[in-house]
Amino acid sequence: MIQKKICLLGASSVGKTSLVKQFVEGIFSEKYLTTIGVKVDKKSLVVDDEEINFMLWDIEGSDRYNVFEERYLRGAAGYIIVVDQTRASSLIEGLDIHTLAKQVTSCPAVLAINKSDLPSTWHLSAIEQDAYQKLFDLQFTTSAKTGEHVDDMFLALAALLLKDKKNDITAE
Amino acid sequence: MLEDNTEEQVESEQHIEQIRTLILGKNNALVTESVKKEARTLVTDVVTEALHDRQKQDSSVNKVLQPLIEDSVKHSVAHNSERLVSSLYPLVGSLVRKSVAAFLSDFMEKTNQLLENSLTLKGLKWRLRAWQTGVSFAQYAASQTFAYRVEHVFLIHRETGLLLNAVDIGNEEKSDADMVSSMLSAINSFVGDSFLTGEEGQKEQLQTVSTDSFNLLIKPGPSALVVAAVIGNPPQKISNQLQLTLENIHQLYFNELNQFDGDNLPFADAENLLRDCLLSEQKTEEKKKKKPWLALTLLFIIATSLGYQVVSWVKNQQLHKKIMQLDHEPGVVIRQLTINNLDDIYLDILRDPNAVILTQWLKDNNLAVEKFTIVEQNYHSLDSKILFYRAEKIVNKFPQLSLSWKNSSLSLSGKLDFSDYQQLLSALAIAGFTKERNLNIEQLQLASTHKIVSSRQVKQQIFDDLVGRISSTQLDFAVESEEITAKMQISLDQIEQYMAQLSVLAKELSINIGLLIIGCSDNTGNIATNKALSLNRAKNTEKELIKKGLDAEQVHVIGLGQIDINAVKNTARKVIFNVVYINEAHIKDSQLIP
Repeated sequence: MIQKKICLLGASSVGKTSLVKQFVEGIFSEKYLTTIGVKVDKKSLVVDDEEINFMLWDIEGSDRYNVFEERYLRGAAGYIIVVDQTRASSLIEGLDIHTLAKQVTSCPAVLAINKSDLPSTWHLSAIEQDAYQKLFDLQFTTSAKTGEHVDDMFLALAALLLKDKKNDITAE
Repeated sequence: MLEDNTEEQVESEQHIEQIRTLILGKNNALVTESVKKEARTLVTDVVTEALHDRQKQDSSVNKVLQPLIEDSVKHSVAHNSERLVSSLYPLVGSLVRKSVAAFLSDFMEKTNQLLENSLTLKGLKWRLRAWQTGVSFAQYAASQTFAYRVEHVFLIHRETGLLLNAVDIGNEEKSDADMVSSMLSAINSFVGDSFLTGEEGQKEQLQTVSTDSFNLLIKPGPSALVVAAVIGNPPQKISNQLQLTLENIHQLYFNELNQFDGDNLPFADAENLLRDCLLSEQKTEEKKKKKPWLALTLLFIIATSLGYQVVSWVKNQQLHKKIMQLDHEPGVVIRQLTINNLDDIYLDILRDPNAVILTQWLKDNNLAVEKFTIVEQNYHSLDSKILFYRAEKIVNKFPQLSLSWKNSSLSLSGKLDFSDYQQLLSALAIAGFTKERNLNIEQLQLASTHKIVSSRQVKQQIFDDLVGRISSTQLDFAVESEEITAKMQISLDQIEQYMAQLSVLAKELSINIGLLIIGCSDNTGNIATNKALSLNRAKNTEKELIKKGLDAEQVHVIGLGQIDINAVKNTARKVIFNVVYINEAHIKDSQLIP
């Protein structure tokens, strides 16, 4: 069976754990529990008749007190930078993390603009959008609460990983 | 100087290289080629020894051959099963026997273990402890029974933390090996980064993780980790085995580990290597081969109860036979006998009052009366012994009589007055004795007539009384019947007796007597037929009386036919009697009168 390690990165309280919970268990909780260190979850999905096992590493959010730790990114087949569309600062932090991550890995990266069920406080201009699209392999607007585009995002990532085997993490 | 030296060195090295190329050819091609020609012979010479040596060195030959052999056997089974079957055939019989024997002994052992675990104090204590500590009983029992046991072995890719393969002891609920391996890698990374580097710049590495119920032993290699989950105290042996396995895996799967892209299929064969790490050792005191006491005890209890059942069944049968002897006692009939157990017996009988008393019989046969529930009803037995006993009781009231018992018939002898005689006969008749069947009174004499009848006047009175008695006797016949019934016999017996007594008296009083037997009929039917019927009734009566000893000379028979009296004519199906007597003295007297 094919197994892939996928990391979820981003500023704190952007909804990384909620995204994983929505994807793995299909539920959402309003309670906020901050993740300490890392929590690993597993989800099997089938893409083009091929079964793929995602090991989802939900990594604690980084902020100015809690610096991004690259150690958990080792061996990842892909990572998802999660940002909060109600907090513009989370986008800046997300981009910083992405820059740091690019230094240690060349695996595909996804931008997830989360909390689409809430009114957004910022919008990407057409130029920004274009710029970010070059930075990331995939980009999704998601809601962990309603489940909007959550499965789509993970399935698209799985398809990308299966198609693009050159992005093999071991072929660094 | 230095430069000169260097130049010289370089030059000589170049020369040597030239010579080497001349002798060995470019890239050792000459040598390689000549060796290649002989390769087969060379390898053939040493292949066995080489395999032997390598196997001895690190047992790696086995591990390489095992998957190959498995594949070939699989292939054989799929494509050439016939041949395989015929070569295995001679083995199968003994294999089956052996496996059945092994199964039985294993079953016995397991049953014993189960009983031991659930019934013994130790088992209950373990259950309580397991419940208190919140682990399953099986796990707790294993931790108590084994000095150590490797429950799971994981092979984890170091870089990604993904699980390559895992094996377990096989009887535990499976924890999610994928998650365990990922979390373990995460913790390992955390530890490695948190405690930063050692003196030589090497990161700290997690070696063991301990929880309440098990230890995780972690052996890190350059590309993979082998992790063993152990219950109990893991000895150094496990660590060594893990190290050996890890080295083997690195050797055999060098390329696969480096080119790992998330597909763990190439590591499926590593299972055999990992299985070598599933070590265990039972605690020494448990190791002794114990006798299966509990199973034996159970067997003993079953055998004992079975034996008890058999013994009590036999006892029941014996008791039944003994009680049934009662049925042979005269005057006793057993209607129902139920032996619930040896202390609870139900007995329902019929008993003649003259038969043996039940409680006495039980006592005489050594049976405890208090164990019996007795239902008793009386009946009248015609058993000869009872009849005799009954006759004895009656006859004993007349001390002047003696009795004897011969061929189931009672014979009486002695003298008796008339009223006692009457009493005796009726009592005997009630007791089941009749002259026709089983009573002989030929020896019985009537003493009273001689004594009582002394004077002529008294004799005359008795004479009149007897005549009256005879005249008042009537026999009642059924419609169109002329048959003498048993009831009539009693009346006829009496008439015969009366006539006997009357004859004696008549002689003494000089009176001539005769008995008239008069047959009658009702008025239904033909008159002539009725006449004939009434005559036949009278004739039959006469016949019976003569049979009983009456003198035929004394009897006269008449058939009256219908009686023309309104009150009785419908039902007068009778025989009536009358005594005709003529006093000789009176005749003489009348002849004397002119």
